[in-house]
Amino acid sequence: MAQTDYGADLATGPVIEAKGLGVKFAVNRRRKRSLREMFIHGTKRDPNAEGDEFWPLRDVSFEVARGDCVGIVGKNGTGKSTLLKMIAGVLIPDEGEVHVRGKVAPLLELRAGFNDNLTGRENVYLVGSLHGMSEKQIDERFEEIVDFAEIKSKFVDTPVRHYSSGMKVRLGFALISQLEHPIMLVDEVLAVGDKAFKRKCYEAIERMLANHRTMVLVSHNEGDLRRFCNRGLYIKGGSLAVDTDIEAALAAYNEDTKAEIAKRKKADEAKKKRAEEAEKKAEEGKDGGQAA
Amino acid sequence: MASRALAVWEHRKVVGLLVRRDLKVKYQQSILGYAWTMLEPLALTLVYFFVFGVILQADRGMPADAPAYGGFLLFLVAGILPWTTFGAILNEAPRAMITHSKLITTMKVPREIFPMATVGTKFVEYLLTWPVLILFVIFLGGRPSWEGVLVWLPLAILLQFTMGLGLTLLLSSVNVLVRDVERLVRIASRILFYGSAILYPASLVLDSPKVPEWLMIAYQMNPLLGIFEMHRAVWFAGFEELTPGPIAITSAVVGSLLMVIIGYWTFRRLEMSVLKEL
Repeated sequence: MAQTDYGADLATGPVIEAKGLGVKFAVNRRRKRSLREMFIHGTKRDPNAEGDEFWPLRDVSFEVARGDCVGIVGKNGTGKSTLLKMIAGVLIPDEGEVHVRGKVAPLLELRAGFNDNLTGRENVYLVGSLHGMSEKQIDERFEEIVDFAEIKSKFVDTPVRHYSSGMKVRLGFALISQLEHPIMLVDEVLAVGDKAFKRKCYEAIERMLANHRTMVLVSHNEGDLRRFCNRGLYIKGGSLAVDTDIEAALAAYNEDTKAEIAKRKKADEAKKKRAEEAEKKAEEGKDGGQAA
Repeated sequence: MASRALAVWEHRKVVGLLVRRDLKVKYQQSILGYAWTMLEPLALTLVYFFVFGVILQADRGMPADAPAYGGFLLFLVAGILPWTTFGAILNEAPRAMITHSKLITTMKVPREIFPMATVGTKFVEYLLTWPVLILFVIFLGGRPSWEGVLVWLPLAILLQFTMGLGLTLLLSSVNVLVRDVERLVRIASRILFYGSAILYPASLVLDSPKVPEWLMIAYQMNPLLGIFEMHRAVWFAGFEELTPGPIAITSAVVGSLLMVIIGYWTFRRLEMSVLKEL
């Protein structure tokens, strides 16, 4: 039975354990059928089912040990974010299991949970408590969070809808990075913010990693990945292609990308050639016509 | 199932936070704020009193000596106030999951807490309408009884919000997959409003010779009929015509329980698809 299981025990063993993970999305009209499936179990009787299904991720198994920083690389749309969502427990796998030992601090989308109508202060308290911080903890760290986010004190009590998008993101990162959960999931969020803020984010992440926290990072920035990760997962076409150190994963990814670019170039060239030939032919035809 | 209930219980604080946030957002940006919670049903009551009481004379179904104890006006207030809350639940139920999609897709919490928070907010708003009701009871000379306050009132509130939670669980999850639900609910809410004897005593229908037997039974099978009759029986104790009959009570209890079971079952059944769609 597919499930995402959260054990609270902090004993030894892998922190994140994925076994034969797969998730299925229905395409187009078939989405509606999920209602029907509720009453009629199984889809085997449905002859068209296969064609309308899409598995963004299938048969993925891996383990992450405590203190690891795992980078996930791959092309767009190969299921990297889907994988993170399953680890975070906000998406339930259709196949396989994920076991996560310990609480998860998800940096899946930084503005998440901020209500536009509430002030910065209210939002920090709300989202902080939603992620399991006590009021006292937030009281103690409030100054630090606001400082880190570089929000001027006169804006702290302004509704978040008047914030710039950078301000919202900075406040979100500042808040989530204060969580003391043992596992961090980071999805492509380091790309935001200006240079100075980015540097601060790097420092914060390094501090967390030094604290023996486990991190899973999805990014397209090779510099970030090399900087933090000691392991790399390369996801290709919805399945796990390479599970080694980050260098090898990046190398495999780059090789495939190069091959793809070369292929595209070839295809482009072939196309151009065909177009040229066609043009030539047309011209010849014209010439011939004039000659006649 | 048990572990799931435990997980929900552990997150009760989150429900409280969401309720507080919703109330804050709602009252923050208006000048009259809380006053609207009372003004809206009040205005409605006056309109309905004029149309149904004065023009259409729906008060002829009232017992003969009821006017001394608040009469048709108190009858209307005692029905419309809880209905405002119930109508608001129905209105927001389909969007209970959709509006929280950002939170649901980034936070690992039992998903049930979002419909629960929606219903919880409405419950607080319902409690806030009580001052109006009490004022009416005092000025119109309502006659509360022990039987009403100790039996009918808690039962009515319990059943109403059980029903509301069941509906919210059902509608919020189905609406993520099929958005037609929102429109359907708007029509259904109108039908229920007029079908639940809020603007006229149920005896007008039950004693009418024109209504066939089967329709009479079907009419009493509506669980909301019993719930709103209970809400009014608190202030009109001892009036045979205004006390819910056995069919109405049974269908109110069974209907509410059934609704919450169906709602939760559907919610869990659709959870996976809902998470993918949000």
